[in-house]
Amino acid sequence: MQFEVLATCHTTRARVCRMTLGHGVTMLPTFMPVATQAAIKGLTPQQMEGLGVSLILNNTYHLNLRPGIKVLQEAGGAHKFQGWNHNLLTDSGGFQLVSLSKFTKITEEGALFASPFTGEPTMLTPEESMSIQHAIGADIIMQLDDVVSSLTTGSRVGEAMERSVRWLDRCIEFHRKSGRDEKQNLFAIVQGGLDPALRDRCLEEMIKRREGVAGYAIGGLSGGEEKDIFWRIIKQCAEKLPADRPRYSMGIGFAEDLLVCVALGVDMADCVFPTRTARFGVALTHNGPMNLRLGKYAKDFGPIDDTCPCPTCSDGTSRSILHHTITRETSAAHAVTLHNLTFQAQVMGRARDAIIAGTFPKYLRSFFAGYFSDSGYPEWCVNALRSVGVDLLEGDPAAKVVRGNGAKWEYSDAS
Amino acid sequence: MSTLRLDIESSSGTLFGPRLGKVSLQRDAEGSTLEILTPGLITSTSRGVVPHLSRNNVNATAAICWVHVPFESFLEVSPPTPTLQPGAHPLHKYLGFRRDQHIVSTSLRDPSDDREMPANGNGFANAYCLRGVRKVTPADWRNWVVKMQPDIVTALTDVPFTAGPHSQKRMTKSLERSSAWLSDLLQPISDTGVDTRRQRSILVHMAGGVIPTARKAFSLSLLETLYGKEAEAVKPLATLDEGVSGYTFDLVPLHKALSPTAAPIRSTHPPTLAATMAALDPHVDLPTPEASAKLVPLLHASLSPLPQHKPRIAHSAASPHEMLLLIRDVGVDLFDAHWAQRAADIGVALDFTFPAPNGGADARADLGHNLYDTRYAHDFSPFADAFGTCETNNDDKDTARTTCPCIACSPPRLGTPLRHSTVDGPYPAHAPAPFTRAYAHHLLHTHEMSAHALLAAHNLAVLDAFFAGVRVVLAARPSAFAREVERFAEAYDGGLAVWAQARAAWAEVALARGKGRMAREKEKQEQDTLGTAVEL
Ligand SMILES: [Zn+2]
Ligand SMILES: [Zn+2]
Repeated sequence: MQFEVLATCHTTRARVCRMTLGHGVTMLPTFMPVATQAAIKGLTPQQMEGLGVSLILNNTYHLNLRPGIKVLQEAGGAHKFQGWNHNLLTDSGGFQLVSLSKFTKITEEGALFASPFTGEPTMLTPEESMSIQHAIGADIIMQLDDVVSSLTTGSRVGEAMERSVRWLDRCIEFHRKSGRDEKQNLFAIVQGGLDPALRDRCLEEMIKRREGVAGYAIGGLSGGEEKDIFWRIIKQCAEKLPADRPRYSMGIGFAEDLLVCVALGVDMADCVFPTRTARFGVALTHNGPMNLRLGKYAKDFGPIDDTCPCPTCSDGTSRSILHHTITRETSAAHAVTLHNLTFQAQVMGRARDAIIAGTFPKYLRSFFAGYFSDSGYPEWCVNALRSVGVDLLEGDPAAKVVRGNGAKWEYSDAS
Repeated sequence: MSTLRLDIESSSGTLFGPRLGKVSLQRDAEGSTLEILTPGLITSTSRGVVPHLSRNNVNATAAICWVHVPFESFLEVSPPTPTLQPGAHPLHKYLGFRRDQHIVSTSLRDPSDDREMPANGNGFANAYCLRGVRKVTPADWRNWVVKMQPDIVTALTDVPFTAGPHSQKRMTKSLERSSAWLSDLLQPISDTGVDTRRQRSILVHMAGGVIPTARKAFSLSLLETLYGKEAEAVKPLATLDEGVSGYTFDLVPLHKALSPTAAPIRSTHPPTLAATMAALDPHVDLPTPEASAKLVPLLHASLSPLPQHKPRIAHSAASPHEMLLLIRDVGVDLFDAHWAQRAADIGVALDFTFPAPNGGADARADLGHNLYDTRYAHDFSPFADAFGTCETNNDDKDTARTTCPCIACSPPRLGTPLRHSTVDGPYPAHAPAPFTRAYAHHLLHTHEMSAHALLAAHNLAVLDAFFAGVRVVLAARPSAFAREVERFAEAYDGGLAVWAQARAAWAEVALARGKGRMAREKEKQEQDTLGTAVEL
């Protein structure tokens, strides 16, 4: 990996970087669409290329079950299997093990779980996770970590963090010996729950191992914790992580979360949210999410966003025909997915431009003003951005601020 | 004004032999003409869109040229939203079809839908939408059509979708209604005073059910010279037929009436799977070869009195075998691709050519591959053996194959990639590789919608190539055509055994995904005759 910091924001901790991997250049900060099963829901790789996407994510847990490692090896890796010639990242499979399997038991050796096919006890060790990710062949691979829900408290959190450090050592060792470390870049995952002291300890240990680590992810968040705690942990981690390594915030996809994370120094994020919400009929726009299932769009002949360059909007696909087909025709899901991924790419692309131009604080203010104009600013965003020197309420101290997590939705009137 | 015409390049000289020609739609105001070589295909739609293909993939699929839009799903909102679309060419605009690429036709009902419906009345036809049955008057239909400006519209017809058999009296009434409703569509719209008849081309469905004399009577009624009020209403037309640009045949109600009363389907599948299949796929009846053969005299009865130079269009032909029969023995010019598109829903990748390859195997080959089958899990070949891909080297003339131009076998570049910031570096262009059976197999088993996108485009391309092959034989060696049809029937399994296997596998995977997903799929299959549920 070549990693170069091109510009940093004069006020916040945001930065623009060029990350060069085996399958091309990805400019950071960026949002990574999720292709869980080796396909972005309903789209072809050519459609993804049309959107200018240069880095997507596959899930190791799922690909290991289907099509299985043998098929991927025969195909010559996941890139070839799915016809994707750009950069690819795989997770370690640990998160899905814990969230999808009730019987997973963590031991020092690895994660013991019941095979979804045979019910047989199966062990996923750090070495095995590396080996599976080597077969998949992604440009960025993740260490196996000991995942606990962000709502977990007590000694388990510290234990998981310590074990994640030990498993990182095993991953580094296995990865180096495999000789794959030239082509595939291993990322560490910082754990430690919501406890700043544990996070600090984890950061310290993992930074010590930086020679074996191409980048760092911030894990164990976005599991339902208070947003005011979420951003403080992100800030703490991003501040301490080395400047010459990319920083990846896992499972982050709401526009406001993305921009706050970028302002706190995060370079990459992924989430199923924009593609999943598309299938339920929600289009993301710079004025907030739009629920196309609402009756008011039945006779609305404008596109989702007439300034949007995505194939759906630029072809003039109306809200009305999307209302008619959404949730009923797969092609409507594709249309809104194309739009939402373009929206995510635009939010991040504009951030890159603004950081380079030295206008990132202004961009933050104008984005939030547009996105939350009617519903009010989430208080946690105001707080988080104030902590890096940007006041969303500047010039409008009377602006509405809402407590809580502040996700903005148009609720459905359809059954 | 737009005119639909058929130029017959060659025919066997008989009334009903195979015809080679070209259907053209001339749009005078735009000075443009779209052409489809015949025999050729019409793409079917569901809720106004080509199932599984987003607009950029529709535009990248050359086989999609004439698109047929059943209108009834739009009755959910009143007035129907496509009739409110502002601007020029409202229906094209609303559905995203391109004026320079797509001919758009519409009919009130989905010609592939065989659900039972309440009887039509003298002044209205019944149509089906998500919110239930809707009555549509001939005047509604005329007004909507004028507003939407489809290139081609099918007049309302009274096809009984009530339980048969139908009495002679019922049949007579049905014929009278159908011609009255056609006459209504041929009238100018009086309240605007504009003569709008000639902005569109009108097709008429050949009524009369399975009674040859009734079918003939309907055709004769189209040819009767009109007098008095009736003549005044459609002035300057002397007969109804003068205002008709082509004849359509909805085969689904005929198949239903001609097939022996369906015995309760005995299934070799376990009860839950059988129930799942029954719930998911209510439209499975494949006509027997005998039932297909019985179509021929019925279509003859309709066509014999009528002029020969107008296009003959068949909806919902059950297989390529039936299409060939109707080309050879009736001279049908256009077929909808419903069959091939449906195959994409159930995971079948078509793989056949006309003429059939020489020196085939002993057993009849399948017309396609059930990609659910585990035999494809490690199969990295492209979807079809009979076609090359963007990577095939065709230098050797002996083994040269037609390249399948579809988005799966020859993936296209879809425009210039979007750039999202000024610092974005170059975005390398790679030569895309054809998608493999193993990949589609994986996508089907993981319920990924991309599988259907690839299959839908591929199957349309294969059917398009099939018709191209038919045209080549009709042009170069017309006398060999009948023999080639026989050879095709010997080479390929017309019983579609592979379909049954695919349907079972499709149901099995749906079943394995749980109750919520099953409920969504069942709802989708009940509502529409094409497409699969959105995977949430
Ligand atoms: Zn858009
Ligand atoms: Zn193909």
